[in-house]
Amino acid sequence: MTPALSCERLSFAYGGRPVLRDVSCVVAPGERVALIGRNGAGKTTLTRLVAGLERAASGTVRVGDWDAGRHRPDELARRVAVVFQHADQQLFARTVREDVAFGPLALGVPGPEAGVRVAAALAELDLGSVASEHPYDLPPPVRKLAALAGALALAPSLLVLDEPTTGLDRALRARVARVIRARAAAGCAVLVVTHDVAFAVEVLDRALVLDGGAVVFDGAIAELCRDPTRLRTLGLREPPVAALSRALDLPGRPVRIDDAAPIVAACCASGGLPYIGESHGPT
Amino acid sequence: MTRLSLERVSFWYPASDRPALCDVSLRVGRGEIVALVGNVGAGCSTLLCVAAGLAPRVTGGRLDGRVECAGPETAGGGRVLLLPAPWTQLSGMGVTVRDEVAFGPANLGWPLERIRVAGERAMARAGVADLADRDPLTLSGGELQRVMLAGVLTMEPALLLLDEPTAELDGDGAAALWAVAREEAGRGAAVLVATSDLDAVPDLASRVVWLADGAVRADGAPAAVFADDAIWREGPGGPAVADVWRAAGLAPPWPVSVTAAARAR
Repeated sequence: MTPALSCERLSFAYGGRPVLRDVSCVVAPGERVALIGRNGAGKTTLTRLVAGLERAASGTVRVGDWDAGRHRPDELARRVAVVFQHADQQLFARTVREDVAFGPLALGVPGPEAGVRVAAALAELDLGSVASEHPYDLPPPVRKLAALAGALALAPSLLVLDEPTTGLDRALRARVARVIRARAAAGCAVLVVTHDVAFAVEVLDRALVLDGGAVVFDGAIAELCRDPTRLRTLGLREPPVAALSRALDLPGRPVRIDDAAPIVAACCASGGLPYIGESHGPT
Repeated sequence: MTRLSLERVSFWYPASDRPALCDVSLRVGRGEIVALVGNVGAGCSTLLCVAAGLAPRVTGGRLDGRVECAGPETAGGGRVLLLPAPWTQLSGMGVTVRDEVAFGPANLGWPLERIRVAGERAMARAGVADLADRDPLTLSGGELQRVMLAGVLTMEPALLLLDEPTAELDGDGAAALWAVAREEAGRGAAVLVATSDLDAVPDLASRVVWLADGAVRADGAPAAVFADDAIWREGPGGPAVADVWRAAGLAPPWPVSVTAAARAR
């Protein structure tokens, strides 16, 4: 099967400042991958290369069987949809519906089919009720979801989300999580740039960690989260459930809420963990 | 000693019939850190703008009730707000980070030497000393957020208002920011912080205020506020550690942090 994305010995510099060094990675269709690393590690630059907005100094980026370096961004948009970090400031149409429709119409999707895709994308994110609103009458986090709906309407084979959860509350994060799972299950590869390791470990399977422009970890995100020393070295915060498992030495060291819950329930039932009362407030 | 007091405050944005804040009463004392949590659109940012004196003065609209901010006039002593999108807070007047950080105290009319000393100290505390000669417009979001933090620290505020201050920061950056918030409270500032980083709240704040539809739904210790199932069903939820206990079907109150869970062991 052709990978959804493959980077081979990719290097890139802004002026004389190297940002990516010899990056190689492959993402298969249907995979859910977190791209993580500290501020300035090169994450956003990698997404710009994938979208065709920058050209690699050396090495190649392939989206499916296309060389991203040989296609214009508007051609790549047939396969890659990118929601940039400050997507809430990128909407320009007079209604959410028109904004979501812009992408498919620009790709030449016929009106009726574009209409179907727009309605489906809005429904996937529960945005039907705000479809006729002006984007700038909505709070920034909801605008961010509208930008995500615009990406979904492109029917991409690779979906790249840069910090999709910033400023989102629990309910909105759940909608983003649902969309990531559903699109991946339908075969779309999803690459999520995030500092939010707690969200990433709940929703994504694999972690690709950049540090100083190089790939320093590529493997199961659960494995990364069970290694506090490595997390610290990479400037990443240990996600709370992983920290809890470690502090309480929970069997199997679960890192996700739904995996930890039955273990905590069993420990409490057997007296291994006492009842936690009101006295246990903040330190 | 109360640094910020809101008494029965309601606020309407211009051309809106629906109040963005609804009969809100809230006090934040000297040395206290209070976390403001709520769903998107609940009014957390509006409350911070009201507390900062920007609403309705800058935003327009109408305010009912009383807003009082008290601080020692000698050492800075004012109220400052750190906005969630740092580039919206750039003065546009500083060609270097050092100038940008000096913008606040310069407008307070401080003598040059005092501005210089306070600026260098604030830049060091915010972790941006090495960026002092850079043009703010060339910085990344995370760098800019720390520069804006340095800008507000320079003014040695009596009331520090933070709106999603870690939005642009990585793990280390967020931990450093929370440490600075604690230091500020330690020197006597009152800190009111709106955040969706609920995992950080229990170890940071002594009180949590839950806003829903512009009104205060709960105001209390983190363990108590997050023990209410309603905040999980209708509100912003709570820390992941409590979520584990909740998902396990155990009755509240739940431990709200790793520290609390480990202590109970």
